[in-house]
Formats: sequence, C-alpha cells, structure tokens
Amino acid sequence: MTHRPVLLGGIFLAVLGSLCPFLWFILTSFKSQILVEAIPPTWWPDGSLVFYASALFEHRLLHYVRNSVIVAGSTTVIALVVATPAAYALARLRLPGKTWVLGGLLCVAMFPPIVIAGPVWQILERLGGLNTHWGLVLPYVSLTLPLAVWILTTFFHELPVELEEAARIDGCTTWQALYKIMLPLATPGLFTAAILTFIYAWNEFFFALLILTDPERQTLPVGIALFQGEFIMPWGEIAAASVIATLPLIILVLLFQRGIINGLSAGAVKG
Amino acid sequence: MAGLELQHIEKTFGRTRVLHDVSFEVGDGKFFVLLGPSGCGKSTLLRIIAGLEPQTHGSVSFGGQCVDDVPPPARDVAMVFQHYALYPHLTVRENLAFGLKMRREPKPVIEARIAETATLLEIHDLLDRKPKELSGGQQQRVAMGRAIVRKPRLFLFDEPLSNLDARLRASMRVELKKLHQRLGVTMVYVTHDQSEAMTLGHAIVVMNHGKIQQIGRPEQIYHEPANPFVAGFIGNPPMNLFEGSFRLDQRQLEFLVGDLTFRFPFQAHERISANTGMATLGIRPEDVKFEPQGPGYVAITGTIDLVENLGNDSIVHMMVKGQSLTARTSFGFHQHAGESITIHVKNFHLFINDNRIPLPSP
Repeated sequence: MTHRPVLLGGIFLAVLGSLCPFLWFILTSFKSQILVEAIPPTWWPDGSLVFYASALFEHRLLHYVRNSVIVAGSTTVIALVVATPAAYALARLRLPGKTWVLGGLLCVAMFPPIVIAGPVWQILERLGGLNTHWGLVLPYVSLTLPLAVWILTTFFHELPVELEEAARIDGCTTWQALYKIMLPLATPGLFTAAILTFIYAWNEFFFALLILTDPERQTLPVGIALFQGEFIMPWGEIAAASVIATLPLIILVLLFQRGIINGLSAGAVKG
Repeated sequence: MAGLELQHIEKTFGRTRVLHDVSFEVGDGKFFVLLGPSGCGKSTLLRIIAGLEPQTHGSVSFGGQCVDDVPPPARDVAMVFQHYALYPHLTVRENLAFGLKMRREPKPVIEARIAETATLLEIHDLLDRKPKELSGGQQQRVAMGRAIVRKPRLFLFDEPLSNLDARLRASMRVELKKLHQRLGVTMVYVTHDQSEAMTLGHAIVVMNHGKIQQIGRPEQIYHEPANPFVAGFIGNPPMNLFEGSFRLDQRQLEFLVGDLTFRFPFQAHERISANTGMATLGIRPEDVKFEPQGPGYVAITGTIDLVENLGNDSIVHMMVKGQSLTARTSFGFHQHAGESITIHVKNFHLFINDNRIPLPSP
C-alpha cells in the first residue's frame, strides 16, 4: 500500500510525457498565425479555427482522410480474413515445424522497411500497382500479417479445445465450429489485431510516400507532410490536420476497448 | 444387438503407444464404465468412439455398422465433457438448441425438446442465463441437458462429476443412474473413481497403461479381480497385497512372505507351469475378522499400529509378522494402538504371473 502514491505519480508522469507533444499540437491548432510564430511562445491559444478551415478546404484534408480510410480499412479486413484461419490452424493442428512457421513470421515482421522497399517497388511496377490503393494495401497486408497471426494464435490457443470438440459433436464442421463458436469467443483478440493493423496502415509513411506519387491517391501522413512548401512551414495547418488525423484512431480505440475488455471467454471452462 | 463394438483398437501418439489392442462390446441400452487411473488411455478411447481422435488400428461400430470413416458430426453421439464445455457466449437455452439447430430440426421441435429436457433436469429457471452465471452443479446439469436434448444413439461421459464437490457428486451420481433408467440409451462413462464405476455400471472395463485389465460386472470385478492391479485398484481401503513366493507340493500350495506362511489345499492348475516362483497374495480389508469364526479360517496374531474411526466403521492398521495389513470392521472396535490382536481370514486372492488362481478354502 505504501508504494501506491509513488506508482500513481509515476504513471501520471509517464502519461503526461507521452501526451505532451499531442497537447502542444492541439494548442497550436487553435492558435492564429501570429501566436504560432510568437517569441517567446505563448501557451494558451486564442481559439482561432483558421488553421482548421485552411487544412480542410485549401489543403483538401478530407480527400486524404478518404484515401486513408480506404487503404487502412482494406488492409485491416484482408489481413484479418487471411490471419484468422492461419492462426486457427497454427493454434490447433498438430503441424510439423509449427514453431518454425511462427518464428519465421516474427523474423519477417522484424525486417526494416528500407530493406524491402526496392523489391516491393519493382514488383508493384511490374504488376501495375504503383499509384494505386491496392498497390499500397498489398505490402501493408504482408507487413501486418505476422502481428495479426501472432495475436490471434495466442487467443485461439487459450480457448479450450473442449469447446471446439463439443461443437464438432453437436454437428459442426471444422469451419462452422470456427465461425460459430471459436470466432465469437476470440472477439477480444480480433479487436486487438484489427486495431493494431488499422493503426499501422493509418500511420504508415514510408511505403505510402514511395508508392503513391499521385496527390489524388495519397494517404494522410504523406498528404500532411506535403503541406510544407519550398519556403514555408505551415505549422498551424499541420497541427490542425494532425488533430483531425488522430481523432478517428482515438474514437476507434475507445470503441474497441469495450470489446477488448469484455472477458467473453470467462466461464467457458470451470477452474 | 450391440450398441457399440470396438475391435482391436490401437492408438499411438508419435512413438508412444497409448492403447494396446482394446476390444469390447457394449449391449444396447447398457451403462458401460471405463475405469482406470489417469493416463491409462480411457479418455483417448472415448474420443476415438466420438470420432474426435482417429485410431491407429482397429475399428469402431455402432449398432453393427462400422463408423470408422464417419466424422463426429455424423456419428450421432452426445458427449458430456469434464469441464462441461458450455458455449460461454450463448445462453443456456441457446446452448441446448445449438446441436438441434445444426441438425436443422424445425423450430417447434427444438422448443418442445428444450422444454422437455428442462423439466427432466429442473433447469427451467436457468434457461436465459449465460454459463458463467451458473454454479458448478448447474453448469453440470446444463452440460447433461445439452447431451439429452439431442436424443443421440450413444451418450459419452468424460469424467463428468470430477469437478463437483463430494456431496454434489454423490447426488448427481444418483440422478445420472435415474436418467439412464428413464432414457434407456447406451452410455459409455469414463471415470477414475471406483465408487462411481461400481454404482453406475452394468459392466466395467478396468484399464491400465492402455491395456484392458478386466471386463466384468461390478461384483465380478470386486470378488474375482483378474490380476493384482485390479485387486489393488478396486475397494476402499485397497486390498492388502503381499509379494512373496509359492511352493507347490502334491496337493498343497504354500505361500511365503517374510515369516508368514499360508497353506492351501490345491489341485494342479493350467496357469502354473513351475513348482516354485513368485506370487501375490491378496486379502480384502473387509474380509479380516476380529472374532473367532467357524472352520476354514486362518488365525494370525499381530500388533495394532493405528485405528482410524469413521463412525460406523473403523479402519485398523496393524503389523503381522513384519508385514503391514489393513482391516475394516463395521462393529465398534475398542482396541488401541500397541495392543496385540488375532485376526481370522478365510477369503484369499492368489495371483501367479499376474493371473488370478482360484483358491479353495484352506
């Protein structure tokens, strides 16, 4: 009990530390041009919405949001559709070399993007995938799959085999047992995998910059980065755009959090 | 007609063989118990019957039909699992309905069956609850209900009572027996608990190390255990087993262990090929008497080590010429540790080469 105040203080400091840049951005986004460049800097904004208007209308921010939703959304859906049966098989079947497969996946996830950038670009060029959304979704899916498979494998592994066997005896095929019994119970895992995949695809900058040169198709991180002109750095617009870009993630996390916390498998098996 | 027949079932996991040539037949409508210590292969055998695990060799038939190539959903069996395995995201009603829905039964039929099952098991009040809102005993009932509601041709139970406390276990045992009498369906029941096996089963298969040790009616297994393993496994407290040697001369068999010698009148027996060798002699604790009996009884003196009083019964631990021996007496027993005592025994079990050798009374 005596450690409690120390612990709480530590948590508060850690949270404050990681929130600081965000707070600064939020404050900046509500300032007017004069306040942004004021020296010494001022803390409190004057509540101006000029930067928001500029980001939304002059820089066509919503257009980038749309592109990001398409890319991140498809990446998440495709990655989960592929990862779920893969994870199920890895968690349940007596496969030879299973640990090697899981280890291999982990290694693939560790590759620095710059190492595969060249080959990915060449492959996409041959396939005609440059400057298309699917051309970006494809590498995103392969980069997020390892994590999704790992998360889901862990989840399926923890669900009791007896449940699946009960479903088989009750008349389910393996697939029916998967989507009628196991999937509903693995929803916390699905949520976790989905949100991490979505965040990755939403934030990814390097491949998006490499593959999408057409402003019509660019995603949010690239779009915002290209706000800056040759001689000007529009901090205010960038701050406003970043706030708008972060909002969907915060909303998603809050929504999914309830799903993640719901201990659905509690009471599945006694003891 | 046989409800279930297993022929020469073998099972290996990698290099480990867990079942050795297991064959038996279960009569239609019978309650059949697979009994053995944990790890003896009884649960694997049950899973092979359900189709959840393929056998390495041998064949399984239901009602005369081979089901080796029939997948579990089509075998029409119901199974009650040790940990119940209720679907946690479904209510009790949905849990009961699940198997019927999967078999595309019409809705009115499903509702009628659920009502019928709920009445039988008295779980009406629980129908709209989720499994995690139920106590262990209630979950057990629902698990049973999920099996009954389907009206399968074969019920499989995998240690269904082992997670309940002792009192609940005893009352569920009675209910299970009543249930079997009402439904009259073939049931195969796996347990490591001998009292469940003795009270429930029409027939018991005792297994150890993946091999069948004995198949028989409960009283047969108790009175005529086929080998020292069965003898020691059935009965509470377990049978006193003495490892010693035997000597056969003319019409007498002599069993020697330490300073103790027992002599039995004896005819030659096909299972005994040599005139001397190792043997095991067994005495059930409940066959040990403390009062002088009629003719045929052997009297032995010893010293009392410890007396356990169980109310109506006492369990007496004693040393008899260097051998420890346990007795169970149902009368008030008034002697204490350290006192010397004479016991009278008539029923002996003799095993040579792991086989039961029938003994006439000495």
